[in-house]
Amino acid sequence: MIALAVLCAIFASQSEFFLTERNLTIILRNSVDLAVICAGMTIIIILGGIDVSVGGILAVAAVLIGRSYQLGAPDWVVILVGLSAGAALGAINGAIISKARVPPIVATLGTMYIFIAVLFLVIGGVWISGLPNTLSFLVTGSWLGLPSGLYVIGAVYLFSWLLLRRTPWGQHVVAIGCDENAARLVGISIDRTKIQAYALIGLFAGLAAVLYVARMRNVEVNIGTNIALEAIAATILGGANIRGGIGSLVGALMGVLFIKITQNGLVLIGVSSLWETVVIGSLLVIVLVLDALETRRKS
Amino acid sequence: MKDPLTQRLYFLFGLLIATVVLGSLLSPNFLKSSTLGYLLQYVPVLGVLGMAQTLVMLSGGPGIDLSIGAMMSLVGLAIAALFGLGVPLVLACLIGLAIGAVLGAVNAFLICVLQIPSLMATLATFFAYSGLALALTGGSPIGGIPDWFGHLAQGRFLGVPVHFWTVFIPLAVLLHVMLSRTKTGSHIYAAGNDERAAYLSGVKVWRLRFAIYCFSGIIAGIAGIMTLAWFQAARPDAGKGMELLSVTVAILGGAHIFGGIGRIMGTVLAVLIVTTLQAGLQLANISQAWQLAAIGFLLIGSVVADNEVSNRLRMRARRGSS
Repeated sequence: MIALAVLCAIFASQSEFFLTERNLTIILRNSVDLAVICAGMTIIIILGGIDVSVGGILAVAAVLIGRSYQLGAPDWVVILVGLSAGAALGAINGAIISKARVPPIVATLGTMYIFIAVLFLVIGGVWISGLPNTLSFLVTGSWLGLPSGLYVIGAVYLFSWLLLRRTPWGQHVVAIGCDENAARLVGISIDRTKIQAYALIGLFAGLAAVLYVARMRNVEVNIGTNIALEAIAATILGGANIRGGIGSLVGALMGVLFIKITQNGLVLIGVSSLWETVVIGSLLVIVLVLDALETRRKS
Repeated sequence: MKDPLTQRLYFLFGLLIATVVLGSLLSPNFLKSSTLGYLLQYVPVLGVLGMAQTLVMLSGGPGIDLSIGAMMSLVGLAIAALFGLGVPLVLACLIGLAIGAVLGAVNAFLICVLQIPSLMATLATFFAYSGLALALTGGSPIGGIPDWFGHLAQGRFLGVPVHFWTVFIPLAVLLHVMLSRTKTGSHIYAAGNDERAAYLSGVKVWRLRFAIYCFSGIIAGIAGIMTLAWFQAARPDAGKGMELLSVTVAILGGAHIFGGIGRIMGTVLAVLIVTTLQAGLQLANISQAWQLAAIGFLLIGSVVADNEVSNRLRMRARRGSS
């Protein structure tokens, strides 16, 4: 949080354009996909799992959305296609992880390859472009003076927060993340909770695909290649522990803003955008080291 | 009762033959010796990375090194840059290996001293290293590597690329002997199987893992040198995607992601399978998509099959004891 403020201060002092309303809206618009996925990633990491296939899910959902647009489907059908494709692919991940007992990173690594294959087969190596902009109000529009992306992010995070902190299901997720065996002994249905959680992150990836298509109005071949690692990085920056049980939705959102502001701010102050991964990486290292020192002092 | 790992090797060997047969059915050109050379050109780079990844996983923790591809790119660039500054190439390569060791030591420090989970630590260094590789070069490759150096990876001996003989096979033999015949090898297995038991019986678990992460950096350096010689240029994205591919190869080869189980032979066979598959499908003009799909299915399928086998063994053991 403090780091975020410092970062903003640095960029604001170096470029007067940084704090303008227009620029902040641009940052927000660019963060929507990542923010939505990060809500799901936080829940998965709290569960003690990981999903490196979200980029693949996003890609498949986006290409299906593009194709259904081309078939002339109306908006609500298109949204439904995107969301259900995402949820279904996520549920497949969950089933492989829980029923076949494949470690999450292996399972989602495998499905990542398969999803990208599906993308290539459906898209056939050519971009889908010139899609209608009937949905772009979801990202670029504004309502009551605030950009609509804000409402989308707000709704997703409120939903996830309620789910995680105010329902028995959320407690099950935390319990599994803390100690899976104990959770099983208490009578929590581990397999079902896991499948549901992975379906949820799939659903969010599907939503991100809808937003992506709405914003860009095309589907490219290398869509979603980096988003999984970025999402994991943002979630960890936000204080989640990869061992499970610990994580914060607000923190993850901060992490997303952090990454996106870095990307935006570096360009504005005239540093080559190539440095952005260096900055994100070193910050991750610093956060992890501080975290480790803290735990060491406590114990 | 047969040892499941040996069964695994038979399975992989069968799979390798199946892919070769498939390749030759798909394309009449597949079994020509030129194809063999072409095929084996790819093997050493992924092969050594896969072996390093296997060691990291074996030593437990759970261990994984996601920064391996980024280290490879960085070392390649460092060597090319040093050579550009007038440092003799051989010296530059040695410095490059040292840089690899240092990059690996950073990982090792984060994981073994600060006790950060390896997945998070190497994800962070993956960002930092690959970002550095891009930022320091501005994204453009560094060329100007002399021809004689290129021969190290482009030359052929008995129709097989030179670096296959000089790097891949020696390293595989060395690691195989180390794991199966030496004390260090059994310490690695012990650390991966049961950290606490290993520690109590006198294995310096974390010092061992520290060394392995450094070793992984050196191996990434060797892979970087091989690609440098192959392309006669250093690309900032040379190692892109290698981190996940090396994990895939290690797991397909039978290494268990939580440590303690796995063999170098399995990894070697897995590398051969993956590259044969890629070359075969490429020759037959089949879309890259199917290669990816095949790798994905193999990866998940092999772990599921593993679970089945160990379940059956456990059940048999239980029946035997009662």
